[in-house]
Amino acid sequence: MKTFVCIKYVPDTSEADVKLDETGLGVDTSRFSFDINEADNYAVEEAVQIKENHGGEVSVLSIGPQSSEVTIRMALAKGGDDAIRVEDSRIFEHDPLAVAKVLSAAVKDQDYKLILTGCMANDDGNMSVGVAMAEELGIPHASMVKQVEVLDEGKVRAYRELEGGVMEVVELTLPAVLTIQTGINEPRYAPIKGIRQAKKKELKVMSLDDLGLPAEQVDESASKIKLNKMYIPEVEAKAEFIEGEEPEEKAEKLAEILQKGGLA
Amino acid sequence: MRRFVYDTYDQEMLEELSRLPEVWDCTGCRTCEVRCPKGLKPVEVLYALRNQMVETGKVEPTVRDALESVFLEGNPWNKPRATRFDWMEGLDVKIAQEGEQVEYLFYVCCTVAYDPKLQVVAQNLVKLMEKAGANYAFLGEEETCCGSEVEALGEEELFQELLEENTELFSNYPANKIVTLSPHCLTALKKYQDLKPEVIHYTQLLEELVREGDLTFDGEYSKKVVFHDPCYLGKQNGIYEEPRQVLKSIPGLELVEFNRSRERSLCCEGGGGKMWVETSSQQERLAETRARDARELEAEVIAAACPFCVLTLDDAVKAVGHEEEMKVQEITEILGELL
Repeated sequence: MKTFVCIKYVPDTSEADVKLDETGLGVDTSRFSFDINEADNYAVEEAVQIKENHGGEVSVLSIGPQSSEVTIRMALAKGGDDAIRVEDSRIFEHDPLAVAKVLSAAVKDQDYKLILTGCMANDDGNMSVGVAMAEELGIPHASMVKQVEVLDEGKVRAYRELEGGVMEVVELTLPAVLTIQTGINEPRYAPIKGIRQAKKKELKVMSLDDLGLPAEQVDESASKIKLNKMYIPEVEAKAEFIEGEEPEEKAEKLAEILQKGGLA
Repeated sequence: MRRFVYDTYDQEMLEELSRLPEVWDCTGCRTCEVRCPKGLKPVEVLYALRNQMVETGKVEPTVRDALESVFLEGNPWNKPRATRFDWMEGLDVKIAQEGEQVEYLFYVCCTVAYDPKLQVVAQNLVKLMEKAGANYAFLGEEETCCGSEVEALGEEELFQELLEENTELFSNYPANKIVTLSPHCLTALKKYQDLKPEVIHYTQLLEELVREGDLTFDGEYSKKVVFHDPCYLGKQNGIYEEPRQVLKSIPGLELVEFNRSRERSLCCEGGGGKMWVETSSQQERLAETRARDARELEAEVIAAACPFCVLTLDDAVKAVGHEEEMKVQEITEILGELL
């Protein structure tokens, strides 16, 4: 059983001071660290566990610059067998449909049973590439998957996490796309020894031409989405520090404020 | 510990042993080595067992994240490489130039570089070097992790990679001495066999500057201070006297000693990669015992010369509720108050 796992190389904005670049259409990433997208990391682990338990192969697929190869190598070190990195400046990456078309073009002629990817990218938060791939390839999908069971008769059972702590269980006929929720497993560490050994594994770099995908289908002109601008909303700062020598004094002042505001 | 040393003779037991949570309890203080009548190094056994687990990839998420962060960003704290030098902001720091010889080349520890509580250590050392008129420089943007905790967490291959990269880096910046801010970096860099300059801890340099009269302090610091010997500085490098001499040179400072000091010093549990591993022991943290002992001595300040000791002891002082009466200060922090 061959599984494709689609990963994205993203900046870590969790602790960084986010600023926009000069164009106003992007974020200044010069002071960020980059890593595999969090949910994709869980997808890699799930793909490797499926391989360990049921046999088969894992192929890693990504669209990204050369610098992203480090995360692809890490995924190969964890148990991936080979990888494809698509790099082509013509791809309009702001449109998840364009991204899904490119990824689908890379897998469509291959003999795969499963496509796994994270349920959301930390940078754009679109939550749509995996689902759009299923549509593009004409195969079923399940999103926000928190548990996977591989069944015998060419099916998988997927446990989907819904709001309010409800789990929904669905059965899908393969091939299928699953978008993986964080917490489905505990991603393993990619040891340096494994990363070194993974250098022997095949990592194909492909352009749109190599994929046989006409650029006009996935470039900016093809997209029905136009990026207008990005901006950081002004924060209406209204915080008051309550000063005082003793806790009692501070508590008294706090109580006064709450009373005045009609809250107590 | 004894059990691990004996049981690892049996090759067939290695896998089972490597899975025991106790493998991760060792703080790398090496008290066992100091005391062993046969001169054995039991820590190496535990690090090898950790290595076995690391190579399977099945380690605690905190360990995984720290190691990946070193691999990708050159520090174990999940911080971007690009912000490593933010501590220099507003300071006129002399940066080492390729091929230009300096007397003292400073190597800033990852924890000091990124932790807002500890950045003052590097900042004050710049000020102290300027005051002493020393011929010094700090490494520029190529500085990366020394690998001390990487090795302790069992990722030997990554340690070797850092060792090679850093040895080459240092060869581009000739210096008579490399000065580390952390005893952990000191211990790690001493393992770099092809490194030409001598590697010293900053307390050794400050002691020399004070002894030669190049560094004097005018103000008054009238506090009772107890010095906590960092294991990586004392037990592992035999540096006991220098930090004490620096403290004694401070006007007004009253230096007192723990009952357990020098070779008998109690570990703070910050070494051996323990900053990233929860301990399985249910007993009181040693740093908390240390904080209580300091309180009994009526010390107002616990002085330390290691970033991990500062962090663990600071937490411990708060945990045992002595925050009001006592604080933890890095030696350079105390010196900074007199500048």
